[in-house]
Amino acid sequence: MEQIQAAVSGALQGSLFALMALGLSLTWGFLRVINLAHFGIILLGAYLTIELAGPTGLGPLGSLLVTVPVLFVAGAVVHLVFDRFEVSELNSLLISYGLLIVIIQVVQNVWSADFQRLPGDINPYATQSVRIGDLIFPLPTVMAALFALVLVVAMKYFLDKTYAGRALQAFGQDREIASAFGIDHRMLGLLLAGASGATAAIAGMLFTLRGTVTPDSALEWVGLVFAIVILGGIGNVAGTLWAGLLVGAVSGLVAIVWTPATSPLVVFTLVVLALIFRPQGLFRRKAAH
Amino acid sequence: MRPTRLISLLVALALIVAACGGDGGDATTTTAAGGTTTTAGEGGTTTTAGGPSGDPIVVGGSLSLTGAFGATGVIHRIAGELFVERLNDAGGLLGRPVVWDVRDDESVTDNVATLYEQLISQEGVDLIIGPYATPNIQAAMPIAERHGFVLPQHTAVLAPTLNYSCQFPAWSIGYTPNEFIPHQLADAMESLDGIETVAVVTNQSGSVSFVSYGRPDVDEPAALEIFPERGFEVVADIPYPPGNTEWDAIATQIRSADPDLVMLNGLGVDANGLMEAMLALDGYLPPMMFALFPAPGPLLALAAENDYGILSVTMFEPNDTVLEGLSAEAAEIAQEFAARAADAGVPYTTFETQAAASWNAWEILIQGVEGAGSLDHQAICDYLHENGADLTFVGHVEFDPEKNNFWETNQMLKQVQDGDWVVVWPEDKAAAPLRGPSN
Repeated sequence: MEQIQAAVSGALQGSLFALMALGLSLTWGFLRVINLAHFGIILLGAYLTIELAGPTGLGPLGSLLVTVPVLFVAGAVVHLVFDRFEVSELNSLLISYGLLIVIIQVVQNVWSADFQRLPGDINPYATQSVRIGDLIFPLPTVMAALFALVLVVAMKYFLDKTYAGRALQAFGQDREIASAFGIDHRMLGLLLAGASGATAAIAGMLFTLRGTVTPDSALEWVGLVFAIVILGGIGNVAGTLWAGLLVGAVSGLVAIVWTPATSPLVVFTLVVLALIFRPQGLFRRKAAH
Repeated sequence: MRPTRLISLLVALALIVAACGGDGGDATTTTAAGGTTTTAGEGGTTTTAGGPSGDPIVVGGSLSLTGAFGATGVIHRIAGELFVERLNDAGGLLGRPVVWDVRDDESVTDNVATLYEQLISQEGVDLIIGPYATPNIQAAMPIAERHGFVLPQHTAVLAPTLNYSCQFPAWSIGYTPNEFIPHQLADAMESLDGIETVAVVTNQSGSVSFVSYGRPDVDEPAALEIFPERGFEVVADIPYPPGNTEWDAIATQIRSADPDLVMLNGLGVDANGLMEAMLALDGYLPPMMFALFPAPGPLLALAAENDYGILSVTMFEPNDTVLEGLSAEAAEIAQEFAARAADAGVPYTTFETQAAASWNAWEILIQGVEGAGSLDHQAICDYLHENGADLTFVGHVEFDPEKNNFWETNQMLKQVQDGDWVVVWPEDKAAAPLRGPSN
C-alpha cells in the first residue's frame, strides 16, 4: 500500500511538471523555439500569484484572472521577438536562456531572494487532502492533475479538430509548404506562444499552492521538465502528460523502494535510454520531424 | 537586425539588469559618522568630520547576494553594514575609517576563490572577512592561508575540516558537531515522556549530512549511531538529494514508520516541504520534529499556522529573557537590524543566529586588530589565540588551535511556541520550557 501511495502521489506531482512542460513542448514542437524563458514566465506566474492572492482578495485561483492574460501577452511578446528576427532553433535556446536569467534577476530585485509562500489563510489547499480508501492525495497535486488533464484535452482538441490547430501542425512539419498554402503562421504562432504563457501562469499558481518559491526555483525545474518534454515527445501534447505521470510515479516509487536520493538517477537514466532508443519520445509511433 | 546582433543585445540587456540589481555587483559600505558612503575599488579616501580620519582600512569579502544562498546572504550584508556603520560612528579602527568591499559571489563556490584572490592580490585590501555558507568558506580558506590573512568566518561548523590556524569561527557547535547535535536533541527528548522512536531524514549536502552519517571515510559517531546508543530506536533512515522538491514519498515513508521524533538534517525550506507534504496526508504530523538549519521565517509561519512546536538550533534569539542577560547594546542592535531588514524587503526581519554569526565575525576581526594594534595578520592571529574575543551575543570565547579554533559551543534548541521562536534547551538558558507532544 505504501508503494501504491507513493507511486500515485508521485504521478499526481508529475502532472504539475507536465503542465510546466506543456508550453515548452508546444513551442518547441510547432514553432521550433526552445524557449527557456518559459521557466521565467512560470516563475512570474508564481510570484504574481503570491502578490495578488492576498492583498486583492482574489485568492490563488482568482489570481488567474489577472495572471493568465498578462502572461499570455508575455508569451506572445517573447515569440514576436523570436519571429521578427527569425531566430533559429539553436539560437532560441541561447537567447531564451539569457531572458530567463534576466527574469530571475528582475524577480529577485522586486521580491528579494528570500523564500516566499502563500500564507495558510490564503492558501487552505496546501494542507488539504483527498482520501480514496486507504490512499490519501494532497489536494494541490489533485488540482494540478485536473488542470493538466483539462488543458491537455483542450489543446489536443484544438490541434486535431480546428483549422488553426491543423495549420499549426502543418507549419510545424514544413514551414515553407505550409506558408505556400496561405497559413498565417505569424498569427498562429503568437496564439500558440500566448497559450503557452497562459499555461505557465496556471503552473506557477499551482506551484505556489504546494511549496515555497525563490527566484532560483526556475532553475530547479529545468532538468525534470526537459526530461518530460523529451520522454513525451517534442510537441506531443498527450505524451507530455503521460510522461509527467510516468516520471512522477517512477520517482515516487524509487524514492520509497530505495531512497529519494536514487530517484534522479533512475529518471535521468530513463531519459538517456529514451534519447538513444526512442528519440521521438515514448508515446509517439514515428519520428516527429 | 541579424540574430547574432539580437543575441548580443539581449545578453547585454541581461548584464545591465544584473548590474542594476540592488544587491549585486561590487559594493559598498559605509564609513562614518557623517554617514558618508564610499564605494570600494574607486580608490577613494574618506574623511569625516568628528570621526575617524586618514586612509580607510578596507575589509574585503564576498557574500552570496544572489543565487541559492541569497536569502541568507542578505542577512549577513545588512548585519555587516550595520556593524561597520556603528564601528565608524564609534571612531573607526585604529583611528581610521573602515570600508567594507563586499562582492557578490552569486552563490557559486567557484567564484569565491577568484574574488578573494582579486581582493587580496589586486585590490590590496587590508583585511578580509569570510563569505557565507560552508562550501564558500572552504573555498576562501586556502586563499587566506596562502596570503597569511586572518579569516573570521560566519557559519562553517564542521570543525575538523577547517584546519587553517588563522581562521576564526563565528559560530561553533564544538569540535564534533556530528556528536553534539544528536546528543543535545537526545537530551531534550529524554526530558519528555514517550519519545522512543526516531526517523532520520537527511539532505545529502555536505553542510548537514555529517550530522546523520559522520564525514565520509571517517569512522566517527553521528545521529544514526548515537540515537540507538541513547536508547532510541531508529525506524527510518531517509537520505534525499539537495534541491529536492518531491516530498510526498518521504512523507509517506515517515507516516508509515510512525516515529515519535523526526530529525530532519536539512537546509533552507526542506522542513517546509516535508511538513506540507505530511500535512497533506490527512493532517499528519509526527509528535515531535527537529529541523537543522532551516529558513527560520517560512518555517515559523508554517509551524505557527498549524500550532506545531517544531524544534531547531540557535545561537541567539531575541527573546526577552535572553536579552535581559546581555548588554543593552544587544537589544539596540537587534532592533536596528530589524528596521533595516524591513527596509530591505527581507520578509523575516528578526536578528537571530545568522545575523548573530555575522556580528560575531566582525567583532572577532575588529578585536583582533585592536588587540594587535596593527594590521599585521600574524599579530592579529596570535592575539586572538592568546586572548580570545568578547562577543556581544555569546560572551567570551577562546580559540584553541588544537580544536581548529572552535570554541565551546553555546548552541541551544529553539521551538515554535505561540507564534514565535523561543529558546527551550538547555534548561538553564531556556526562555520557556520545552513543550512535548501533548502540549
